Amino acid sequence: MMSFLRRSLLALGVTGVIAGVLRLRGTGGVPPQSGGWRELSAPDFR
Amino acid sequence: MRVAVLGAGAVGARAVRQLASTPEVERVVVADTDAERATRVAAVVGEPGRVEVGAAGSWSAGADVAVLALGPGEHRPLAQQLIEAGTSVVSLSDEVDDVRGLLDLDAEARERDRTVVVGAGFAPGLSCVLALHAAATFDVVDEVHVAKVGTGGPACARQHHRALRGEALDWRDGAWVRRRGGSGRELCWFPDPVAGEDCYRAGAPDALLLVPAFPAVARVTARVGANRRDRLTAHLPMLRPPHREGQVGAVRVEVRGRRGAARDVAVLGAIDRPAVAAGVVAAVTAVTVAQGTLVRRGAAGLAELAQPVPFLAELARRGVKAAAFEGAGTGAHPEVAEEV
Repeated sequence: MMSFLRRSLLALGVTGVIAGVLRLRGTGGVPPQSGGWRELSAPDFR
Repeated sequence: MRVAVLGAGAVGARAVRQLASTPEVERVVVADTDAERATRVAAVVGEPGRVEVGAAGSWSAGADVAVLALGPGEHRPLAQQLIEAGTSVVSLSDEVDDVRGLLDLDAEARERDRTVVVGAGFAPGLSCVLALHAAATFDVVDEVHVAKVGTGGPACARQHHRALRGEALDWRDGAWVRRRGGSGRELCWFPDPVAGEDCYRAGAPDALLLVPAFPAVARVTARVGANRRDRLTAHLPMLRPPHREGQVGAVRVEVRGRRGAARDVAVLGAIDRPAVAAGVVAAVTAVTVAQGTLVRRGAAGLAELAQPVPFLAELARRGVKAAAFEGAGTGAHPEVAEEV
């Protein structure tokens, strides 16, 4: 019973570490702080 | 004008529908390795006598332009046969080897006074026209960065899966740099409702088509949207059959350059279901080829061949609308930000 518990805790710990590494790795990005998308219309096509 | 479409999948069917709604097109022939599917598409579009099903050996007979909307692999040999028979070609392949093979037909196509438009879909395709349109506002184009999210039909989903494990081709300071597909995560901001998506390097042919269009360009990159499951399973066979058609996708093109002494950035994008947008781009390209209003003959992408303003205006008229990001905070491309 204790052995099963230890293994479960170890598995959970390893999973947590892997998830943390996956989440933290990579540079990510910053959402645009201002401005927005404007649909191109007729004046843009002249 | 007469147009033949090979491939009656998600994109081919949309191209046929668009062509059938174009007054200048007298006849559309649709063919597919699955004759039943081609028959179904012709029946759904209607207009019997104007939209017909083509036989296996003669689907392109008498056509001014042939649209290749089939999966990757056979585009180069088919295009060669078609230009030898005097038919111009619009290819929708987004597979690197197909695109390389098709670009190699440039001299032969010019000699025969025919056109082979390479990568005339959502991305590459619409992305090339957006890059060209954005580039027109600069004196010198230094960098072009393309990102795409979403897939069309099953063939497109399979290609996306392969691309993530493929080798990415970046153009960097006058040389090709090979990078591992699935690397180089970047959070890209697309028009709403797609908004922010993680995008990665992939075996995408965009740089092959954009570099010749902008001879002074120093950097060209292409990324595709993917989640961690996509990256993790990219090296395995697809775990479940691809969907019949993907949801709304988006394309984003960031062009960096100089206006006089000032450096600036222009960001253009578009959202649509990728198969719908690709079908519209293919149809507009086929009509443009038949009308002879492309910039030149030969084999190249739309960034070299199209006139962006009338092309985008026609796409908008058919419901595929581009957008421009305006305002501060466009977010420098990470590789650029390091050096600015």
